[in-house]
Amino acid sequence: MSSLTSELIRISEENAAAVLATVIEVEGDGRVAPGAKCLVRDGRVVAETIGEPGIVRSIVAEADVHLRAEKSKLVELAVPETAGRLHVFFEVMPAPPKLVVVGAGHIALPLVRMAKILDFYVIVIDDRLLYANRERFPDADEVLVGDMARMLKEMTITPSTYIVLITRGHKYDEPCLREIIHSPARYIGMIGSRRRIKACFQRFRDEEKIAEEVIQRVYAPIGLDIGTETPAEIALSILAEIVKVRRGGSAASLSGR
Amino acid sequence: MAGQGTCYDDPNTDVKKRESVYHQVKELLDKGETVAVATIVSTKGSTPREVGAKMVVTAWGEILGTIGGGCGEADVKREAIEVIRTRKPRMVRIDLTDDISSDSPAVCGGIMNVFIDPWWKERDEEAANAS
Repeated sequence: MSSLTSELIRISEENAAAVLATVIEVEGDGRVAPGAKCLVRDGRVVAETIGEPGIVRSIVAEADVHLRAEKSKLVELAVPETAGRLHVFFEVMPAPPKLVVVGAGHIALPLVRMAKILDFYVIVIDDRLLYANRERFPDADEVLVGDMARMLKEMTITPSTYIVLITRGHKYDEPCLREIIHSPARYIGMIGSRRRIKACFQRFRDEEKIAEEVIQRVYAPIGLDIGTETPAEIALSILAEIVKVRRGGSAASLSGR
Repeated sequence: MAGQGTCYDDPNTDVKKRESVYHQVKELLDKGETVAVATIVSTKGSTPREVGAKMVVTAWGEILGTIGGGCGEADVKREAIEVIRTRKPRMVRIDLTDDISSDSPAVCGGIMNVFIDPWWKERDEEAANAS
């Protein structure tokens, strides 16, 4: 027998995104009672206790707005065909962010462990079986071995995907970047010296005619400036930058010194 | 030898599953218990936890999750027991800015509105039947 909780459990186990709308307060002819609910997944109602098609339709439309913003919110909605108003709480359950770590070297090790603590779904890819394997990355959700650029080309990349290019050399990072630079990824970061990055971007402009605003999306050199010295500190600096991009922080000390 | 895109996930294990508070809620409902789900739906000022934070209270006063601790949480727990008894949802306004709570362990000031909603098995199943 299905139920609201079993649908909610299914959503979390399938790492899917959904919105649970709950009526909190009713003003005037609202036609529903506080506590009435509607669970929306992929723009479709999977469970509800509202029973008024007009209200359900406006909730489904509103749910989409909040899912895109990845923020839960209390909203006032007019009830169609009446003077009633509803206060509806939209509880947003976004899909977990996906981190693709390209290059399974010494920075990838702490990076993957820290990313799991931060609840990312983590994929590690490398073309070397010696590096990309379960023994090195027991925490990773997927470890893939193969041509890195080709695997990125075939990967499903969404606005909740974050990509870190930290391969063993520039001649690997660059073809990987070429495959993903036009993707909808929320974050693309590439390791490397300023000189090499400048040369890479110049080739993208000259040879590939890639637009300047597309190139400007790439975070390179990668990470926040926290004066890193060790691989773990570099991993922290990369993840700090990713969290900043995701949540919109300023990356300055809160103390304002 | 491993080929293109070989995946080193153990094929016998499922994709790693996210645990959610609803796993625990369902377990309690299946045992025939009524629980209260308290959610912060709006805030003003600096509050210990953000909009969407949840706490589940059982009829025995057990708590899963947190909406920030301190006396605000104690207020919600008290109201939650009433919500379970009456099976009627209610909204509670927790004001952490007054003098009394500034002496309490609540870490921040601010005001939060907490919606406390009763869940029980029949109500949970009604949702799926309606769709």
